[in-house]
Amino acid sequence: MRSIQRRLGIGLAATLLLVGLALAQASLWVFDHGLRVYLEEGLRDEAHGLLAALVRGPSGLQLDERRLDPSFQRQFSGHYFRIDFADERTWRSRSLWDRELLKPDVMGMQAELGDGPQGQLLLIYRADYRRYGENLSISVAQDYQPILQSFRRMQWVGLGLGGAALLLILIAQRYTVRRALRPLEQVRQQIAQLQQGRRSDLDAEVPEELVPLVAQINHLLAHTEDTLKRSRNALGNLGHALKTPLAVLISLAGRDELAAHPALRASMREQLEQIEQRLSRELGRARLAGEVLPGARFDCAQELPGLFATLAMIHDRGLSLDWQAPPGLVLPRDREDLLELLGNLLDNACKWADQRVQLTVEESAEGYRLCVDDDGPGIDAERREAVLGRGTRLDEQVAGHGLGLGIVRDIIEAWQGHIALQDSPLGGLRVVVSLPRR
Amino acid sequence: MRLLLVEDHVPLADELTASLTRQGYAVDWLADGRDAAYQGASEPYDLIILDLGLPGKPGLEVLQEWRSGGLATPVLVLTARGSWAERIEGLKAGADDYLTKPFHPEELTLRIQALLRRAHGLANQPQLEAAGLQLDESRQCVTSGGEAIDLTAAEFRLLRYFMLHPGQILSKSHLADHLYDGETERDSNVIEVHVNRLRGKLGRNVIETRRGQGYRFTGDQG
Repeated sequence: MRSIQRRLGIGLAATLLLVGLALAQASLWVFDHGLRVYLEEGLRDEAHGLLAALVRGPSGLQLDERRLDPSFQRQFSGHYFRIDFADERTWRSRSLWDRELLKPDVMGMQAELGDGPQGQLLLIYRADYRRYGENLSISVAQDYQPILQSFRRMQWVGLGLGGAALLLILIAQRYTVRRALRPLEQVRQQIAQLQQGRRSDLDAEVPEELVPLVAQINHLLAHTEDTLKRSRNALGNLGHALKTPLAVLISLAGRDELAAHPALRASMREQLEQIEQRLSRELGRARLAGEVLPGARFDCAQELPGLFATLAMIHDRGLSLDWQAPPGLVLPRDREDLLELLGNLLDNACKWADQRVQLTVEESAEGYRLCVDDDGPGIDAERREAVLGRGTRLDEQVAGHGLGLGIVRDIIEAWQGHIALQDSPLGGLRVVVSLPRR
Repeated sequence: MRLLLVEDHVPLADELTASLTRQGYAVDWLADGRDAAYQGASEPYDLIILDLGLPGKPGLEVLQEWRSGGLATPVLVLTARGSWAERIEGLKAGADDYLTKPFHPEELTLRIQALLRRAHGLANQPQLEAAGLQLDESRQCVTSGGEAIDLTAAEFRLLRYFMLHPGQILSKSHLADHLYDGETERDSNVIEVHVNRLRGKLGRNVIETRRGQGYRFTGDQG
């Protein structure tokens, strides 16, 4: 996608170039034409002068040298003539010296320039007369080369001036357009900040042309956030409505009356457990914001202490829980999603850890890296693939383990991130989650 | 141990009340958030089980109100809203533990026992131990010097309370407040009878009488 700036610049330059060249060429042509018409007058006068200089001498017709223009006498002066008589006699001006001036085929001004001596280009005019009973044709020529040269000079000067003007106009236009587009550029930057989670809406102080756009984007943002909140709330209500009776059923399944029917009790418990797992998984998945909200932000320093306090409360067995993140780091992801991801990973780590659990958050050029380390027994390298595979439970002994990893996978998939299991420097398992930048 | 159960779903409340009573807890049940906010702060409960989705007043608000009023009673939040964001919110409001529905009754039992021990400074014990006695809360019997002694329900309830408060002087009315729910007729003579029976099973010195003040649990060492 080309920028508006470049498109405007190219359009303007092309138009100016085209119009400028056409204008210059046309004015040159008009000038050339006018000059030739003017010079034709002079040539006609010279032809008349030559006719007048033809006098009857002792040996027939002759030219009166005194009445000739001196430039006809000077060698290669640029002014030439030839007089052709009906009986094939031809007189040429002295200025032609040893060169020939061809007799034009038609009367009047010649359209083409004729070749002259020393590379001269000649305007040639021919007129036919009858004098003293003889038919004669007078051709007069004038060197046009100096004028053509000055034309060429003018062309170069014009080209230079035109080019400079074009450059000046383009610079001025670039400046104007940039000024005019500055609000657009601001909006573009704000949208980028929105993507990075550094702001939650666009600045409404924009020129009136942009007001509808910005207002609409802000409205959409607010609407999306509102919809997400409402759907999360509705899901919470649904979960509440379903899970409370489920809790009753699970409690009923444990009643002493059922102790006499162990098979019935086992089957009931199994089915209830399946419902519970499925319900939790699907409700959890439906709660995900994923990539919906561009203004999402997760302030590590603000959110992580609460999460770790909660973990410490749940796993009340003297674990040392630590987190490390660059100061002021904000991840451009939905707060609840990221809490769910980290909560489940850290919860798993706390279940397995001997003494220590550590979370490290790092920012790099490609994105973000979250490492959850524990000093528990870890997982054998050959089993890790299977653990990450869909539908596998990480462990059957610790309740909810597989479930937690399921929602973790859902979140990472929604973010187009990546999860890997490695050896931890603490001795146990390290779960590495890489999230791309947005 | 006297518990307050705040839960608006009647069948679940019935189940929990029955199950908790079987385990020797005196249970008061409330379904409305406003009632809970008042009664939780005015009655001497040892532990409160609080559902978050309550009519009248949301559970989180009730909890915040209790904590801002200086109530230190351990609160176990029971909710269907199990996302981590909501758990953190619950903890910030002042919850001591968080159990998501649906749950196994045994899980709730374990959490209540752990929470009570923690609240009395006896954290990280698989069993309630005090002054040389070990109380098996699931089988409701006590082990003293390697010998298991069976207890009646009333004796178990009394001994558990004593063992959670070793060395403290507990008056009869205090014991009655914490061993019976709000609806039971209180007769301080009954407590005297049970104390004597415990002495009969565990030895005279286990519980000493402070005349005019009440009882003091000293255990085997006493």
